[in-house]
Amino acid sequence: MIRALADDAVSGAATGAATGAATDLEIAALLWWAFDGLLALGLLGLAYQVVAGRQLFRSVVLFIIYGLLMAVAWARLAAPDLALAEAAIGAGLTGALLLSAYRNLIGTDGEEGPHAPITPPAGAPPMTVPRWAALFAAALAGLLVAGIGWVAVGLQPPEQTAGRLALEQLAESGVENPVTAVLLNFRSIDTIGEVVVLFVAFLAARVVAQELDHAGPGDWLRASQREPLLVGPLIAFIAPMAVLVTGYLLWAGGHQPGGAFQAGAVLAALAVLLRLTGRLRPRLEPTLLERSVLVGGVVLFSAIGLAGAGLAGAVLEYPPGWDYRLILLIETVLTLSIALPLALLFSGSGGLRQEVR
Amino acid sequence: METIDLIDLVSIGLLLLGALFFLTGTVGLLRFNNCFARLHALTKADNVGLGCIALGLMLQAESGWAVAKIALIWALAQLAATVSAHLIARFSLRLGGGVRRMPP
Amino acid sequence: MTLLYTGLAVFLLLNLLVGLMRVYFGPTAADRMLAALLFGTTTVAVLLLLAEAMALSALRDVALLFTLLAAVVALAFTRLPRRFKGR
Repeated sequence: MIRALADDAVSGAATGAATGAATDLEIAALLWWAFDGLLALGLLGLAYQVVAGRQLFRSVVLFIIYGLLMAVAWARLAAPDLALAEAAIGAGLTGALLLSAYRNLIGTDGEEGPHAPITPPAGAPPMTVPRWAALFAAALAGLLVAGIGWVAVGLQPPEQTAGRLALEQLAESGVENPVTAVLLNFRSIDTIGEVVVLFVAFLAARVVAQELDHAGPGDWLRASQREPLLVGPLIAFIAPMAVLVTGYLLWAGGHQPGGAFQAGAVLAALAVLLRLTGRLRPRLEPTLLERSVLVGGVVLFSAIGLAGAGLAGAVLEYPPGWDYRLILLIETVLTLSIALPLALLFSGSGGLRQEVR
Repeated sequence: METIDLIDLVSIGLLLLGALFFLTGTVGLLRFNNCFARLHALTKADNVGLGCIALGLMLQAESGWAVAKIALIWALAQLAATVSAHLIARFSLRLGGGVRRMPP
Repeated sequence: MTLLYTGLAVFLLLNLLVGLMRVYFGPTAADRMLAALLFGTTTVAVLLLLAEAMALSALRDVALLFTLLAAVVALAFTRLPRRFKGR
């Protein structure tokens, strides 16, 4: 159809081809504009419904769909690293976590469970914000966003941004993927910080988490009921595949989108799958192996960073020629050190053990 | 003007067919009147749809690895959709809601 | 071909957004959940089309992750108690 349009434009050969090309470009721009517009509107509408919706379960499902669209949005922004992370965390962890939390809220008999939100007694005044206060807060927030946007639009683009600097120095980093180069070479101090944050989050969750029974398998693993027939074959296919994909993402991180965070999230999602189906069971205390994996990433990363002070002249600097090997080693250990706390956070337990059948 | 060769033509046909199946799935999701009918409509429609689009894109892929990866994506989607449909149908059957809620 | 890919991506996204009505109106929890699963497949198709249209082959890996992990949410859903009201 488009070709036909282009063919119609042929009257004089050269001018005809030029107009044809221009039409193609215009239609492409229009289509991208439509796609991005629909995506933005969909995301805004979904976000509003997730927050403002009255039915909790509907909000959970809408949030899962929000994660899907968010990954597409990252894809459209040409940020496949973030799209990968969003896909792994959104599809593998958040959805299951929210559904498990929901299960915890409603209790096992469909009535309000022990963890249901507290409802105020009948006579009490409604716990809502007065309308004028809400409007005032909304107006202030709107002004703030508009002000920041106005300033941002007026800014001159700087000559030398950190991103350009990183791209220019890419050859020295030892890897070809600029995102990995920034995360594990140029700004590796930030990455250590992020892994520490994850570890601290796990510790904090251990302090408040008490119940272990709600993240386990549902009714169908009780003695009276059998597991659905297809779950076994599913896991037989998915589990080796997930391990393979973890290794692929880890390896890919050196030269194309991927890396330790995405690989760790996939591995954690596999643990979630096994935990949901009762293949893994919770345990209160982590074993020595689990403890060493939990801290392994930070310890190894810091040790190599400190060794750099002696061998390469600066903290967190790699010795020349060793960049790629050291980055790959750190990433491999980080993958495990990211996957385990994520899995344990989902499980709500200190450790995991294999279910003996 | 470049000409459209046979492979492109087949590819375009498959892609359009895939889009048609997705449309069918969405219409089924919105119009059918109970949970099992909707499940029937979309789990079949969207996987044939994805299959057609995957085939159409495989014909255009730049390398054998890309073809293999698209094929793997489709195979995994088949597996996930089969199991998910089974689980949801089972849940719905136990709940009894799928049948009882059918309007007269 | 790129125009076709883009056009189809717009069409599929439109399908998804229209299908959200099923999630909104339900009526049962299973209806909302199966709609979400359909959207998962739609997103995979959109990502595959974008991978070609934007010449960004890493997007296929994103699609791969979505298909690999699609069953996790369905499994988590099945664990909900049978007698709940789907609200």
